[in-house]
Amino acid sequence: MPDLFTYRNSLPEQPGADGPLSGMRVAVQPNLSVNGWPCNAGSHALAGYTALADATTVARLTRSGAVLIGSSHMAELGFGLADDTIIQIIADGRAELALITDTMGEARVAASGAGLFGFKPSYGLISRCGLMGLVPSMECIGLVAADPARIGRALAVMAGSDPDDPSMPDDCAAGFSADLPPITAQPTAGIVAEWLEGLNAAERSAFESSLARLDAMGIATRQVNLAPSGLFRDAHQVIAAVEASSSAGKYDGVRYGHRSASGKNWNEMYLNTRAESFGPLIKPFLFQGAYFQFENYSAFENACRIRGRLMRAVTDLLAQVDMLVLPTRRPAHDPGRATTIEETYDAFGLALPANLTGHPVLQVPDPTLAAGTDLGLQLIGRRLDDARLLSIGRQMSSIAGEGC
Amino acid sequence: MKYEAVIGLEIHVQLNAATKLFCDCPNRPGDEPNRNICPVCLWLPGVFPQLSREALEKGVLACLALNCVIQPESAFDQKVYYYPDLPKGYQLSQHHKPLARNGWVDIVAADGQVKRLRIHHVHLEEDVAKLLHETEGRTPISLVDFNRAGTPLIEIVSEPDMRDPHDAMEYIKALRDQLRYTGSAECSLEQGTLRVDANVSLRPLGSKALNTKVEIKNMNAIRNVGDAIAYEITRQTECLEKGEPIVMHTRLWDPEKKVTTPMRAKFEGPCVPDPSVARIVIDDAWLEAVRQRLPEMPAHKAARFMDAYALTAEEAAAVSAERDLSEFFEAVVAHALPPRKVAGWIAGQLFSALKERNRSVGETRLTAARFAELLNLVEREVINTQAAREVLIRLLDSDAPLEEIVEKGGFRQISDTTDLEALVQRVLADHPADVQDFRNGNPKVLGFLMGQAMKTSQGKANPKLLKEMLAKRLG
Ligand SMILES: [Zn+2]
Repeated sequence: MPDLFTYRNSLPEQPGADGPLSGMRVAVQPNLSVNGWPCNAGSHALAGYTALADATTVARLTRSGAVLIGSSHMAELGFGLADDTIIQIIADGRAELALITDTMGEARVAASGAGLFGFKPSYGLISRCGLMGLVPSMECIGLVAADPARIGRALAVMAGSDPDDPSMPDDCAAGFSADLPPITAQPTAGIVAEWLEGLNAAERSAFESSLARLDAMGIATRQVNLAPSGLFRDAHQVIAAVEASSSAGKYDGVRYGHRSASGKNWNEMYLNTRAESFGPLIKPFLFQGAYFQFENYSAFENACRIRGRLMRAVTDLLAQVDMLVLPTRRPAHDPGRATTIEETYDAFGLALPANLTGHPVLQVPDPTLAAGTDLGLQLIGRRLDDARLLSIGRQMSSIAGEGC
Repeated sequence: MKYEAVIGLEIHVQLNAATKLFCDCPNRPGDEPNRNICPVCLWLPGVFPQLSREALEKGVLACLALNCVIQPESAFDQKVYYYPDLPKGYQLSQHHKPLARNGWVDIVAADGQVKRLRIHHVHLEEDVAKLLHETEGRTPISLVDFNRAGTPLIEIVSEPDMRDPHDAMEYIKALRDQLRYTGSAECSLEQGTLRVDANVSLRPLGSKALNTKVEIKNMNAIRNVGDAIAYEITRQTECLEKGEPIVMHTRLWDPEKKVTTPMRAKFEGPCVPDPSVARIVIDDAWLEAVRQRLPEMPAHKAARFMDAYALTAEEAAAVSAERDLSEFFEAVVAHALPPRKVAGWIAGQLFSALKERNRSVGETRLTAARFAELLNLVEREVINTQAAREVLIRLLDSDAPLEEIVEKGGFRQISDTTDLEALVQRVLADHPADVQDFRNGNPKVLGFLMGQAMKTSQGKANPKLLKEMLAKRLG
């Protein structure tokens, strides 16, 4: 079996600092800066790059007693989950928490495949300082663990304003409290009919039976309507590709990483370096972005406008119900085997709406269903209502524990 | 057909903030290469740019000096282009939401009329790195110096309101003078702290069309901007007369040959909003506080000087062009000296003495009080004008009492009639032919003999007395 790690902490057994996370073992992907660790973001363009400082989140975790055990393999620049090994590290019990960059739903989809909780916080709640990202307006450090309370404890440490990330919105400054609130008033959940349109009969019935736990908690569900999921996907793809194409420019591969030996002048050297550095999945994605950027900019502007409308529509719906529920993934689409952009988007089709709108979303595993049919259940909450989502998740897991 | 030129300028001005635009590195591009760098301005992965408050304030002050409307909200975009001086592949600039819009400056056009030239917008951006090409040795190499990477700039984009090289040069001067007043920029074309790109197109006189423009770069003196635009107008006129179409491209001014030549333009892509850079939201109270720091602008000050001190327009413009000299002027006038005389001395003698030494008045030992004392000596005819010029040069570097400088340097004016009489005798004796010439009716000779007499006295003779006595002797 190939090694699950690209880098292992040489002192993993060393007890961490005293603190709320004392002893918690954390695995990361190599796109999150840990001082002195190789940090290549899964890309040849960053081959051999060593982080110069701890990411803010990493510094906060270790200061609170968590121990970083190592970094995994990952899909190039965090686009999808192909070749990613981090979930296996958690599934094998080598770590209690995994940090997975969630741009299209990677943390949740990986978690659902392994029967774990995966959480993408409200956009901007966690500092991105030290994250070698690709799609700045959508990506977020996601948290994966077997227990939502653990996610809540880690999030409390990681969240909140960071002077090193001035892009964090003001409403996130206060951060997040570790004490998950008790659920008092009975929450309501909306089921977006348009989001379920692509599901087959088996998937529909699996989803419906997973709603039983919400019933058991007294959470009333009702059907609501929204734009078709394809619109979310298209807007996501255009914007993400453009942002990736533009911001991946800084991974030039010349000052660090792989530098081409060929080229008769600097211009050719740069071109060859980039051509040789990027892999077969990310390269067409960057091309796609470049196409919209240079040849069809109005499509990008339209996608941004559509995104704004969709954000408002979801926010408006969430004024009527406390959360939206939908499956996390479709088992036929394996993100680990996706080799094209379309296959990658197929694998994350149900997860990416929350990245587009920035709302917090929790993936809840469904242990009551037979292996292989677990679609996972996503709860999308109101902006900054992250704690309540985790509370509901905790209660759902306790219901499952009672053999419901 | 008669053509009219349509000229617009894009001007980059380096703000003199202490740090770079997005990090704490010193804003000193001229230091030893790659000394003033950090992960932010090296554009390494994972770090976030943090806008410098000082750069923002200086940028806003500059915009206010150009009569712009500061936008309540502005934001940065990634301006994509690939070049080794920008290895991250994009420059942070404000494309969609600039810092300020709708400004103007007034100039005096070639016809003597005041003309208002509009500014479309002003935006903040980071400068790129500097390439050093080493061509000596077996393999030519290109080196990158990141000291300049990330230093704060504003780009001032004019409307195409200029019609001739004169307009363009006056626009740059007005802009430079106004920005220097705010203390937020040095604005030197020679030093590269102000860089001008000119867009020039032609249209039939009377037409309102905006035709294909040609961009000119690489002009490092205001005079060069005028020359380059004049050259370009002639070149395009010839093209049109020959029936050749004008194609959009970029040309480089060659200051030696005084021609523009086509260059390969950098590829410039579109701008994508960068969500990783904080938006700039300016509230009224803060803006008002910055506005309070805006000094009286040169045009306003010149008008006041004409009014308060009865200066001519030229005199007022000359003493108000630079803020420190204008303040010096008022401080000297406060010592009860005739304002026009003071203005003449400052705009003439002091200005050129400082220029020659490349210093500002604040960088010398000269104070307004001592300058006033010097002018008083001239008024009282203790020293003459020529001697005063010499003394002024000494005052730039000396704190010695003025009396001492005058005595030691032998600058005191000779007003003793016996001494002057001897001088006149000597000059007349030395130039008998000229004396004869004068007596034969050539009055111009008097000037020559005056000059000889002044020279003989080493410039110290009281010119008024001398002239009187000379005329009497000759007459
Ligand atoms: Zn720096």
